[in-house]
Amino acid sequence: MDLISRGRWWPVLCVGTAVTILAIYILLVASNWIYLGWHDTVYFFSKSRMWARFWLTVWTSTVSTFFSLFIGIPAGYALSRFKFPCRHFIASVIDLPIVVSPAVVGAFLFGITTRFPFDWISEYYGIYIGRNVYGVLLVQFTVTAAFCARLMKASFDIIPARFESVSRSLGASPMRTFFKVVLPMAKNGIIASMIVVWARAAAEWEGLMLFVGATEGKTDIMPFAIYLDWNGGMMGWVTSMSIVCILMAVSAISAMRMIGGRSNVW
Amino acid sequence: MKTIKCVLLLVIAFCFILSSQAFGGEKALLFHAGLGQRGALNEVKAVFEKENPEIKVNFSYKGSGYFIADITRSRQGDLFMPGEEFYLMQAVERGFLTNYNPKTDIPAYFVTVIITPAGNPKNIKCIEDFAKPGVRVGLGNPKSCAIGIWHQKTFGKAGIWDKVKANATLSAKCIPELGNATQHRAIDGTIVWATTAVLYLRDVEIIPIEQQYRGIIRLPVGVLKFARYKEEAQQLMDYILSDEGRAIFHKHAYAINPVIPVDKNGFCLDGTTDKDMEYLVNAAKAVKDESFPVNKDTVGDLIEEVERQKKTVRAGD
Repeated sequence: MDLISRGRWWPVLCVGTAVTILAIYILLVASNWIYLGWHDTVYFFSKSRMWARFWLTVWTSTVSTFFSLFIGIPAGYALSRFKFPCRHFIASVIDLPIVVSPAVVGAFLFGITTRFPFDWISEYYGIYIGRNVYGVLLVQFTVTAAFCARLMKASFDIIPARFESVSRSLGASPMRTFFKVVLPMAKNGIIASMIVVWARAAAEWEGLMLFVGATEGKTDIMPFAIYLDWNGGMMGWVTSMSIVCILMAVSAISAMRMIGGRSNVW
Repeated sequence: MKTIKCVLLLVIAFCFILSSQAFGGEKALLFHAGLGQRGALNEVKAVFEKENPEIKVNFSYKGSGYFIADITRSRQGDLFMPGEEFYLMQAVERGFLTNYNPKTDIPAYFVTVIITPAGNPKNIKCIEDFAKPGVRVGLGNPKSCAIGIWHQKTFGKAGIWDKVKANATLSAKCIPELGNATQHRAIDGTIVWATTAVLYLRDVEIIPIEQQYRGIIRLPVGVLKFARYKEEAQQLMDYILSDEGRAIFHKHAYAINPVIPVDKNGFCLDGTTDKDMEYLVNAAKAVKDESFPVNKDTVGDLIEEVERQKKTVRAGD
């Protein structure tokens, strides 16, 4: 009674809610792990198929994250600092791939890849553009590039523009200012955003389903492989790969917390 | 700053290595195939690539309903093997497939069977049992999957369609959904292809359907009009249609008899598929019961499938 009368019930309630949510998620993972059983866990985790998919997922999302950063950092900086015509319009268009479903992105990619010059490249080299691992990278890049620019804008927004003015007044060029002043200050935010972008790329499959399709071991990154195995009734693979995905996500998010703990992007 | 430069250089070098691999000049076929055929076709690919090392086979596995949109939009692909003839005919109508011969281009057939959760809680023995009150039936949506059309046809023929429809608790968009629902005891029974049922040997009971209601579904394959490697695609198709290729399909519970007499609606007329049904029922027993003998006489060509599922409690490979 004493506790409640002093108004302490409110923080207790809030913490209680957080603990409940955590308990629900732990229960979710634990129940599936129990369903899989220890014998099967050892069996599936020691199979090379699992780790081949794991590395495929890791390297494709890493490469596409780097490409997204190439676009995202300058674009985010521009949106955060410079005034140019149609700025708000461009900002809204860049937000589009976050709002629309990745499946739509996958379907729309056909529009580009079947036209000049891609049809010519595909004819000349005798390859089908988008039906191989490059298609995976393309889908991941298309979905995450906009997302990346958006996060970068947020990272740059929290840095006061004053530092740049000082640097410029001391005679540094805009580029030098960016690399020597802004980028080091935004480091935490950028790394945190990078991990979020990476996780988003690693979780992508709807676009892949429409645009790429799956060849065993070549284009089926983990979320896609889970979907395929679900259709093949292979509950062992589905459950064990989901557990690996969850562990991957948890470590990515913890890394983000540790590195970018003081940035307020997320 | 130096580390960033190093990383950038590494990424660029990596891209170059990758791109040099892509344009290596091997002949890579693009095979549009229904998700359900994955097990059999991966095996076909392994054998075919071994016999023809200069040809690679890349699959684009999807639900059969997605293909027409994909092919219309991309105009890519060498071979096409959807989950039912209906989808292939859509491609023929649109002119994507010009040399389809319905008499010869059928490597295998699906056969319909009843599946129930392990232990058969509602004691379903025949088609008529689906009409009993209180049975939770899973039906396919006829707009999005072929099995839905067959549910309607089968129960319609038995004259119990209205009652079964009233019992339905699940409208599935694709056939694995029915298998998974049965496995997890969300429904008491449904009808699926034998090739779907064989994926859940440990967790479902398989009950063959009496001949007059047993559906035989044709599974066709064809070379697309805009195939880049027509000859190689034809070579792969010939392999699939050969006895050796068909035998691979038989290992995954497809019926491969060259002639299965059916009436005009596709229902069985005689006992050609009876032996396959017996093997399937035995296979389900063999996975659940360790003492059940597993050999050619009891489970036929399903022996590898049984052994695969016996290895673990939750199926994998």
